Amino acid sequence: MRPAQILALVIFLLLTLDAALYCHVRLERLPRQRSAADLNDIVTAGLGLTDLCLATEARYTRHPAVSDPMAPFMDHPGAIEHFPTGSFWAVPKDRYL
Amino acid sequence: MKNRAIEKHFNLLDYALSSLWRRKLKNMGIITVFAVVIFLVASFQILTSSLTETAERMLAQTPEIVIQKMSAGRQESIPLAYLDRLDGIFGIRAAVPRVWGYYFDETSGANYTVMAADRSLMPEGKNLEMAIEGDFPAAGQGEAALGREVAANLKLAGRRTFSLFRPDLSLKSFRVSGIFAESTDLLTADLIVTGLDEGRDLFAIPENLATDLLLYVANPGEISTIAKKIAARLPDTRVLTRPQIHKTYKVVFGWRSGFASICLLTALAAFAILAWDKASGLSAEEKREIGILKILGWQTADILVLRFWESLAVSGLAFLGGCTAAYLHILFLEGSLFRPVLLGWSVIHPSLKIVPVFAAGDLLLIFTLSVLPYLAATVIPAWRGSTIPPDAAIK
Repeated sequence: MRPAQILALVIFLLLTLDAALYCHVRLERLPRQRSAADLNDIVTAGLGLTDLCLATEARYTRHPAVSDPMAPFMDHPGAIEHFPTGSFWAVPKDRYL
Repeated sequence: MKNRAIEKHFNLLDYALSSLWRRKLKNMGIITVFAVVIFLVASFQILTSSLTETAERMLAQTPEIVIQKMSAGRQESIPLAYLDRLDGIFGIRAAVPRVWGYYFDETSGANYTVMAADRSLMPEGKNLEMAIEGDFPAAGQGEAALGREVAANLKLAGRRTFSLFRPDLSLKSFRVSGIFAESTDLLTADLIVTGLDEGRDLFAIPENLATDLLLYVANPGEISTIAKKIAARLPDTRVLTRPQIHKTYKVVFGWRSGFASICLLTALAAFAILAWDKASGLSAEEKREIGILKILGWQTADILVLRFWESLAVSGLAFLGGCTAAYLHILFLEGSLFRPVLLGWSVIHPSLKIVPVFAAGDLLLIFTLSVLPYLAATVIPAWRGSTIPPDAAIK
């Protein structure tokens, strides 16, 4: 087998894997997500939720949408932000009236 | 003629691959490092895009307006009398006071979110049973519905009751009426939902106060106008609107967040080292190879094409491998590499079964940032090498 054919085979295998992953998402994950969408809408509307439950260590990463951008620095004058999750979230801009 | 040109390129590609295989240790190393860099950037891009899309989809029904009272730069309980001051603002369909807050469980070190509202006033409130395995807590009965992670953390082991401490350290008992469905985990994992009276009792919030007010408007097109009127009437409050809440999740997971910057800078530094190594010149062995090829009759253009195929094979394989690994990482391992940073010291770990979002734009961006610069970085040394006189190259 020529080296170019081996390379083509490797690329073909990788692309086949990608296509299989894409099909898995389309046929398995997305239908499950769609069936859960109604329940999620009911919970969000019924409880008035504003945020995803991703990081629960600090109130400003548990509820970034309703927290003040200053919240990470409010513990005492000169306080620095110290929760690890704070490094994952950018500061929202121009949110308040 | 056309077939001959294609055959020539196939032969050059064959030669390029054989040449790469001769130095397989070095080239495998380059492909691995390059693929890891691309994997890191692509994983972060897929994770943040997926989280942004998930937030947008799941929070579509979030309250239209939220009013919080501010004092000395901090949020505090809002008097229910503020509802009277909203009289006369047309377009407000309903105003719902809500009591909620955080409860730190000293036994497990977990933070729970306790939520209490009158479900009869909430949109979809009557349908909440559909999302609960069991019943929604009846008002005034000391009942609570729990998120799955809360139930696991409280180690109920079949018990139906649990107790939380009030601020004065007296115990407040709850009976578990139901557990939220697993498919709502990303919204409810840390929730303890109870009646308004029970919430007030637990947090010792007087009856004339609430944590915030939720407002629903008749015409969604007027949200901004109504919010501005409220902000003018209640100057000591912060007024948040649904579009602002959605906007938050569009920007919080961005390239500007600290961890993303570190990932990007690391990737760029690794790539710069790689490109520098390539651009800084050819090894003596590579020069000798070029000299011999030129003596055998190869043209400068042939050598440039040869180097192009070599670079394309290296960067293309690294790109495909890196992107595929990134997709697998988010799809099956739930972004386990980034989870420690995303969750931090959180004790509650909701499952992150998200659908990976990888747009064509993201793919193009990563391709442009990785493959194209690598191809460009190999052109200069290839051209310099191919213009060296053959006798000088093999000396």
